[in-house]
Amino acid sequence: MQKFQEWFENRHEYAKEWKQRTGGKVIGYFCTYVPEEILYAAGVLPVRILGSHEPQDVTEPHIFGMFCPFCRDCLAQGLKGRFDYLDGITIAQSCLHIRQAYTSWDLHRPREFSYYLPMPHHVQSKRAYPFLRSELAAFKEAVEKWTGKTISDADLDRGIEIMNTSRRLMREVYELRKRENPPLTGLEAMYLVLSGQMVDKREHNAYLEQKLKELSERQPDRQTGERLMILGSEDDDTAFMAMAESLGTTFVVDDHCTGSRYFWNRVEPQEDRLMAIAARYIDRPACPTKDWPERSRLPHILKLAKEWNVQGAIVMQQKFCDPHELDIPAIRKYLEENGVPTLFLEFDVTVPIGQFRIRVEAFLEMLRQEDLF
Amino acid sequence: MITAGVDVGNKFTKVVILGDGRVLAKSAVLSGFDQAAASEEAMAAALDKAGIGRDDVQHITATGAGKNEVPFARSTVTEVGAGARGALYLFPAARTVVDVGAEEGRALKCNEQGKIVDFAINEKCAAGAGSFTEAMARALEIAVEEMGPLSLQSTRAVPMNAQCAVFAESEVVSLIHAKTPKEDIAHAVHDAIASRVISMVRRVGLEKDLALIGGLAYNAGFVRSMEEGLEVKAQVPEDPEYVTALGAALVAAEKAGEEA
Amino acid sequence: MSKQKYPTEPLQCWAKAKELREKYYLDYRDAHLKGGLRWAGGAWTFDAVPRGLGDDVYPLTSEPYGATIAHNKELALECMEATEKAGYARDLCSYMRIYWGSILLDKYPFGGGYPKPDFIWQDHICCSHAKWYQVVKDLEPAIPMYEIDVAVGPYHEINEAKIQYVADQILDGIEWMEKVTGRKYDDEKLIAAVKDECRSTSTWAEICSLNKAVPAPLDEKSMYSLYVFGTLHKAARWVADFYEEVRDEVKDRVARGIAAVGNEQCRLISDTQPPWAFLKVFRYLERYGAVSVGSLYTFGLEGIWEEKPDGSWGPRTTPMEKGIEIKTREQAVRINVEWNLSKPEWQHFYHPKFKTGMMKRIFDEWKLNGVLLHYNRGCEGLSVGIAENRLGLIEAGCPVMTFEGNMGDEREFDEVATFARIDAFMESLGFKKQY
Repeated sequence: MQKFQEWFENRHEYAKEWKQRTGGKVIGYFCTYVPEEILYAAGVLPVRILGSHEPQDVTEPHIFGMFCPFCRDCLAQGLKGRFDYLDGITIAQSCLHIRQAYTSWDLHRPREFSYYLPMPHHVQSKRAYPFLRSELAAFKEAVEKWTGKTISDADLDRGIEIMNTSRRLMREVYELRKRENPPLTGLEAMYLVLSGQMVDKREHNAYLEQKLKELSERQPDRQTGERLMILGSEDDDTAFMAMAESLGTTFVVDDHCTGSRYFWNRVEPQEDRLMAIAARYIDRPACPTKDWPERSRLPHILKLAKEWNVQGAIVMQQKFCDPHELDIPAIRKYLEENGVPTLFLEFDVTVPIGQFRIRVEAFLEMLRQEDLF
Repeated sequence: MITAGVDVGNKFTKVVILGDGRVLAKSAVLSGFDQAAASEEAMAAALDKAGIGRDDVQHITATGAGKNEVPFARSTVTEVGAGARGALYLFPAARTVVDVGAEEGRALKCNEQGKIVDFAINEKCAAGAGSFTEAMARALEIAVEEMGPLSLQSTRAVPMNAQCAVFAESEVVSLIHAKTPKEDIAHAVHDAIASRVISMVRRVGLEKDLALIGGLAYNAGFVRSMEEGLEVKAQVPEDPEYVTALGAALVAAEKAGEEA
Repeated sequence: MSKQKYPTEPLQCWAKAKELREKYYLDYRDAHLKGGLRWAGGAWTFDAVPRGLGDDVYPLTSEPYGATIAHNKELALECMEATEKAGYARDLCSYMRIYWGSILLDKYPFGGGYPKPDFIWQDHICCSHAKWYQVVKDLEPAIPMYEIDVAVGPYHEINEAKIQYVADQILDGIEWMEKVTGRKYDDEKLIAAVKDECRSTSTWAEICSLNKAVPAPLDEKSMYSLYVFGTLHKAARWVADFYEEVRDEVKDRVARGIAAVGNEQCRLISDTQPPWAFLKVFRYLERYGAVSVGSLYTFGLEGIWEEKPDGSWGPRTTPMEKGIEIKTREQAVRINVEWNLSKPEWQHFYHPKFKTGMMKRIFDEWKLNGVLLHYNRGCEGLSVGIAENRLGLIEAGCPVMTFEGNMGDEREFDEVATFARIDAFMESLGFKKQY
């Protein structure tokens, strides 16, 4: 499992090396609604832009302080030149926060290709399918113009196959976490998913395929403890995961765009490939920016909690994340009504580990007391 | 010609008396609740030091948060304008002036005449101002004057995320619990506050030279963090706290000249 | 007042504006007494559409409702505290927190309890808009709700599929509306409403373009009281008619050289909603002879504009002026969608460069000396990209001052610090306080 962490921690070296090795183009994406199928079809490597969890002082002139620390952390990476190897950047429409990281990047670190994909918000309307299909066609055309290569149906099939394989493998790993003693920790699962957003999926898939059997036979060298779920906004805070699991608990499942939301559903084959891809993104577990008029996440999250047999949920959000702030009171109420206690935490670029440890400990103590009675 | 500048700050009221371009006397008193009384007191002390009477002063200009509370001032100038004037008088090559006082931090950009081109001021948050260091010194159980020298002993940068003073205080407590040496925590505090101030500097855009004025510039740890963060040597006057009052005294001299 | 340079006169339409606004809120409240219907939605919603349900259907738009309460500091605070107590984050949109608070406390500022709508007809522009009413439904689960996505990209990239997506959602919504109200939908009324909306929003743009005159016939503080009708019910005939009256009066003021601010010597624009409880900021500016002649917010949120043959900005030519005859429901909806997607204030949601460009245009055509950017903690949607607007304007040579605040939550506005900032900005622009 070490490999996934190494990939995650050396993402820039990996991408630079990939470019050198393949001579291909690398594109940075800001949101997981970007259809990577089309990028793989074009032979372009998509890498997700994430922050570095270091305090920084370069974004103040660009993003007003009321927007989330995550979008500022992402932009800081661009302004500090850490992603200078990117040939292009792209975003699929989601929240206003991360959009600003993209637009400021577009203004101040221009790349040869920059694309804003108006991913519809009303994913619960059947009207979203033909609209997204038409936007995907425009995106495909723009990518073709950029790379100078036409994307054929066969290319799209290949792109879909790469993405679907990755999704299938990740689901298989998550299935293992249902076990009484999951063979991997939440932290390891986080590295696994995050590295998949940064590494060539073909390489990631091959390695994961090979590791899956080993993982399935692995005996954890630690007690599982309380089975927790973590859910909320973007979360690649490995320091928090490590701290929480060091307290004798295990995260067995999540609802994050850096976790299960990213790979949950697959492209279902259709003759019209772009329509098939469009349907996959419209039908995926929603980001709260798109989860209306119904809150489809409520039953989805509860289903995860039941199937993975969780005892409690940590509900986190990036500070100032309005879309999640608009869902969290409803989610907490719903989970608690259904017997899943919750702990709410607000994350910043760095979290005060000491304070958070006390809160997690208190939460675990509460769960243990419930066990007693 | 003798003129004076009175800078009624959030914490201290400072007076500078200027005689033909030379500083004759300075004084500072706590601003307290009654800013008018504080300005009277500071003025009297400065006049006393200069050995002159109120009538010898041709023009008095007030500046600072309480500038409208100075009963004997003939005119006022904003602290932004006065800060730039004072800094350029001391460092004619300065184009970016950073002024950090007790509760406010400012970054100013000016041209060679000292005219303000752009400025940024911290919002309703003390994380970018002097009182932040005071709170952190309290958490570290040391005197605020010790913060600077202590942090200079540190050779290790510990990251700290001071979006807010209260949050930062809890981070300091966490660091103490993690047995982080005090000098490294002091260093982290200065890096954090400098990071807030540097954000403002980036907002107006850094143009050399950089001058640091205001009470926090006495703190060598803060100065180091600013210089490291911006990768530039800063000009720090001997009495950074008085620069804005000096600027007001210079404005007063100009006004007196116009009147004459 | 010293240094009076120009004659001033109060606006004649003032009393009528006050009366119409009061009537709007009472009509909504009392709709059921006469067998009418009430609906709720945002100021940006497609308000022409419910007009097809009949002439006794009254809207309550949420943002101006929030602003109305925000003028009353005590009530606003009470509402926001109720919302916070219910577990919602304090950094959310302040209009929204006020609105929910009004439901939680069951208080209507025009007397009585919160008048529940018969249905919700909302669109989704920022991260909060559709979810605003999702929470209303958490509080009042029985209210039927329909919401429309308009985020199809900037207007200059508009195409058939984009219009169709929005139009189809509306057409589905009309069927839904018939079902939940049990009323028969009248396409003729829809067509009339779409025409009224084009007329009112184009006329408002015309009024704003009259403010290019020196001295400005209107100051922004007064414009707020007039612009609000576009946010209340832009597709209402009475709004379109009233705007024509206002336009005639403002034209007359320009012809006679009547100024809004008699000592005008410095022309500014602001940006985003102001801190409503602190409109005295504008009075303070007047002491420098500084007048805010508008903003992209007052001009372009309910005003629909176009570039004229001479390259300047003016009111958009309506379909009626172009001789287009609207015959069917589908055609009316498509025209309405296309018209709304051209809204200037909608463009910057996609990229700050669009807003910087429009502000620079206003700076030049409205002959400005500076720009005041309100970093508004109360509204993500209009603050999005604002820091880049600042950089862009400075690069384009426009002096900019920023100040932080909140349109609805006065706890986030620092009056003393803001006035001090204005002093420094005016000093840097070379203007002296006149009184």
